[in-house]
Amino acid sequence: MTKEPLSTDATTQVRAGDTIAEFVSTSKQYGAVLAADRLSLRIRRGEFLSFLGPSGCGKTTALRMLAGFESPTDGGVLIDRKDVSKVPAYKRPVNMVFQQYALFPHMTVAQNVGYGLRQQRPRMPKAEIAAKVQKALATVRLEAFGPRRIWEMSGGQQQRVALARAIVNEPKILLLDEPMAALDAKLRSEMQHELLALQRSLGITFVLVTHDQEEALAMSDRICIMGKGRIAQVGTPQDLYDRPRSRYVADFVGKANILEAQLTRVQGDTGTATLANGIAVHPQVFAGDTAPRKAEIAIRPEVLSLAAAGAPLPEGTAALPARITHRTFLGDHTEYLLVAEGIGPLQVNVPRQAERVLGGHDVEAMVQILWPAGTGLVLAAEATTA
Amino acid sequence: MAITRRQARALLLTPAGLWYAALLLLPLAVVLIFSFGERSPIGGYAPGFTLEQYANLPSRFAAFRNTLTLAPLGTVAALLIAYPLAYFLALRVDPKWKTLLLVLVIVPFWTSILIRSYAWIFLLGGKGIPALLAQFGLEDIRLLNTPFAVLLGIVYGYLPLMVFPIYVALEKLDKRLLEAAADLGTPPWRSFLQITLPLSMPGVLTGSMLVFILLMGEFLIPSILGGGKVFFIGNAMVDLFLQSRNWAFGSAVAVALVVIMLITVAIYSRLIKRFGASRDDVGLM
Amino acid sequence: MTDDSKPISRKAFIEELRRYQKGSVTRRHFLGVTGLGTAMAVMGGSMPALLPGRARAADLGNRVVLATWPNYHDPANFDDFADKFGVYTQVNVFGSNEEMLAKIQAGGSGWDVFVPTNYAIQTYVDADLIEPLDLSKIPNYDPASFDPRFAVAGTIDGKVYAVPKNWGTTGIAFNSKKTGGVVDSWKTFFDGARDQFDGRVMVHDYQLTTIGNALVYFGHSFNSVDPSDLADAEKLLLDVKPHLYAISSDYQPAMRNGDAWLTMCWTGDGKQMHTDMPEIGFALGKEGGEIWSDYYAIPKDAPHREAAYALINFLLDPQVNAKEALAHGYPVADKRVNDLLPEELLDDPILYPAAEALAPLEFGAAVTLTDPNRAELMARFKSA
Repeated sequence: MTKEPLSTDATTQVRAGDTIAEFVSTSKQYGAVLAADRLSLRIRRGEFLSFLGPSGCGKTTALRMLAGFESPTDGGVLIDRKDVSKVPAYKRPVNMVFQQYALFPHMTVAQNVGYGLRQQRPRMPKAEIAAKVQKALATVRLEAFGPRRIWEMSGGQQQRVALARAIVNEPKILLLDEPMAALDAKLRSEMQHELLALQRSLGITFVLVTHDQEEALAMSDRICIMGKGRIAQVGTPQDLYDRPRSRYVADFVGKANILEAQLTRVQGDTGTATLANGIAVHPQVFAGDTAPRKAEIAIRPEVLSLAAAGAPLPEGTAALPARITHRTFLGDHTEYLLVAEGIGPLQVNVPRQAERVLGGHDVEAMVQILWPAGTGLVLAAEATTA
Repeated sequence: MAITRRQARALLLTPAGLWYAALLLLPLAVVLIFSFGERSPIGGYAPGFTLEQYANLPSRFAAFRNTLTLAPLGTVAALLIAYPLAYFLALRVDPKWKTLLLVLVIVPFWTSILIRSYAWIFLLGGKGIPALLAQFGLEDIRLLNTPFAVLLGIVYGYLPLMVFPIYVALEKLDKRLLEAAADLGTPPWRSFLQITLPLSMPGVLTGSMLVFILLMGEFLIPSILGGGKVFFIGNAMVDLFLQSRNWAFGSAVAVALVVIMLITVAIYSRLIKRFGASRDDVGLM
Repeated sequence: MTDDSKPISRKAFIEELRRYQKGSVTRRHFLGVTGLGTAMAVMGGSMPALLPGRARAADLGNRVVLATWPNYHDPANFDDFADKFGVYTQVNVFGSNEEMLAKIQAGGSGWDVFVPTNYAIQTYVDADLIEPLDLSKIPNYDPASFDPRFAVAGTIDGKVYAVPKNWGTTGIAFNSKKTGGVVDSWKTFFDGARDQFDGRVMVHDYQLTTIGNALVYFGHSFNSVDPSDLADAEKLLLDVKPHLYAISSDYQPAMRNGDAWLTMCWTGDGKQMHTDMPEIGFALGKEGGEIWSDYYAIPKDAPHREAAYALINFLLDPQVNAKEALAHGYPVADKRVNDLLPEELLDDPILYPAAEALAPLEFGAAVTLTDPNRAELMARFKSA
């Protein structure tokens, strides 16, 4: 096999909209379990894409189908527009960083890193391999560790060896299967920065599998949120945070209050909805939404604010009378849990700065929850995932 | 009274130490002393100091030659059969059949090797396999009482001892290493040579060592399936101690055997150091 | 039942024993593979409390240890002995005189009675391992009724150290369907092995008989330790070796299934094979060969001396001895016993060969057993 060498010149690689890999209605069935259910997704050349979801959501299956360890039971997997569904892993131009790194214990660090290069036929000259290995080790800042044994390396160092072993082959796509799971919190955030820097400098497409939403938000160009074998939503981190189409996504990415409501009117990208307590609010709607219908509205706790009962309201702001049940001071913000009349529990996060200026509120106090017009989002009608 | 860690350790090791001293070192010392003595006129041991017994070792050349060819050959043959079997059991078999198949490998051990070897006397004798071969025109094939029969017997007898260490090594092989190899461009057969085989070497070496050492001292199978014509060092020693009752010479032969074994073990530990890649794989034996 | 360091499981031992009892393994081979000199008690005597206690004589104790050859007694006789005297017999079986000697030599054998072959007795006396018997305690031993040929070896320097048990010969067993007739000479045996019987001949894994018969081939004495005689024998044996089917005392299986046509053979094995397969015959070498006789003796350090005398005396009772002979089928030298045995047994030419066939045979000599050169010759032959 040959792995087509990729130019490391990032500018020639990253072309917006250029698809490097694609799932085409790809399914994977294990006995009675449908691990991947008609996945359709285009991975763009040079992007950092994360599969995010809880365990058992199908994200690892998707990654393994891309690597070639599993073949789809239905649909196809394309890499560079070629169907590779039947191509074994060792013939695919992708490399993986495994969860526990899967480093070869009987080889030195340098031998591990050079392993992929030594597999190339026709054989790569030894000197060239050595040079590339040294360069890859330098990239992960392990240039002095080549002769070491694997078990002499710390967890973080092993992680970087695994990374070097994969990138030295200049794969078209670098697959990362929960690579940070075994690291402690501090090391993890360091590695996240390193990975991002590496991805920028190499220009290789990175596909990461993680269950850690913060990790996905921090690193990804785009995130593919999965649940129960299906893709729930694909988008940029901001997009997913600001415009989750479903309750599942809204819940998974950040915190969200979900309220039942009757959508009465749609005008452009804003709608009018009546909450259970009869108060009307003006949330955003997805294009093409129609009224009237029963709907769910998601609103982030930091979008809402609190005012003393009876205080005057700004123009266009709805007010929900509520009682504070818990107050938790969290430094940069304070988290209030409230019970809104006729609605139920809601969460409101008040920034420390706002609380300083406007004053805090005590538990058991009756307050108004302020809901500005144009905030909140009517979840998509078709979004039934989870 | 407080016991220090050091004292506690000494205390815990005392039974094992005494055991080894009494059952290993003491007999060895006796054998060593005997080997410099003489045969008493009516047999047994007579004290003395002579190198005569060692000088006589070449008279057992054939026994050493047979043992030193058939023991390694038997070890290699057992390995060649055991490895694919262990590989199949560890990596290919549906887990629900695994236990059953492993038990089947052990089942022959439930019967004495003596009885099992006798079964081979029938199978290899004139009315067994040779009679079957005669049906296909292969007349007058002699199997029993040949080196081949002995080789077959020892491979058969010691196979489980080879299968299990290899099985254990393969069983605990991290399967993701094979995925990693495939991911890095290695076709399956090559990843077997580069990953599976080297990482199962501790098992291979342990199994080979076990089988080889036992074969070096083997006497039962050669005497049963070799018809007394395929003579091992073990047979020489049995004869010297129990028939000609030349304990001094028998001890010299035993000392020579121990020396050969020590050299083998030394080579083994060298190899295990080379192949014992990760620390937890080294201590298999 | 003692369990001292057997290299073989109890189950396997019993199976081997059954095989032995069916006559397909010789006694020496049996012990070689199962026990290697480890004494095996085959009588259930470990629970003396279960034994009938009546008529127990206090001075005999309640147990006696007998070291003997396998399948060489009628177990019912031991039960009778226990009934009569309250003494149970623990039987240890052995494979060769060498092994017995080694065990007694090592000391602390715990044996009260053992069964040496004629040529071994001198060695025991020389090594001061046995002492003269007090014949007053063995009234059943009547020297006059014993054939002196089979009793003489028990008397050394005029003192009786051992009393006769049974006797037998070492001859040639042949499969007449394959050999085309009787083989009754060591000339035919050894020459045929290299010619018409190539690959079909077996010799004992036992120096006394294998070397002895090779010596007889040249007209030398069965017992010769003369270096030039032994050199002849060695040359013959080494020359024959590649043509042999096997060097083994376990010749019955190979003879029975037709792999081997010709073998050195002890009386009892010849009788057993002939009974089952009439085409297998047994003949004595006309140039000579071995005749042997087994004896009862008491080791110097016997822990139950009185019980030992009682047991020997009991077993030499003609009635008891006749039962023994019927059980094991070996000839007896006591004419009081022969008077009690059936005609067909006494007329069997295998068990009781004609006088002229016995004439050239020789008893093994003490030196034949212990000569280091013969032992070394055998070892060279086997390891060649």
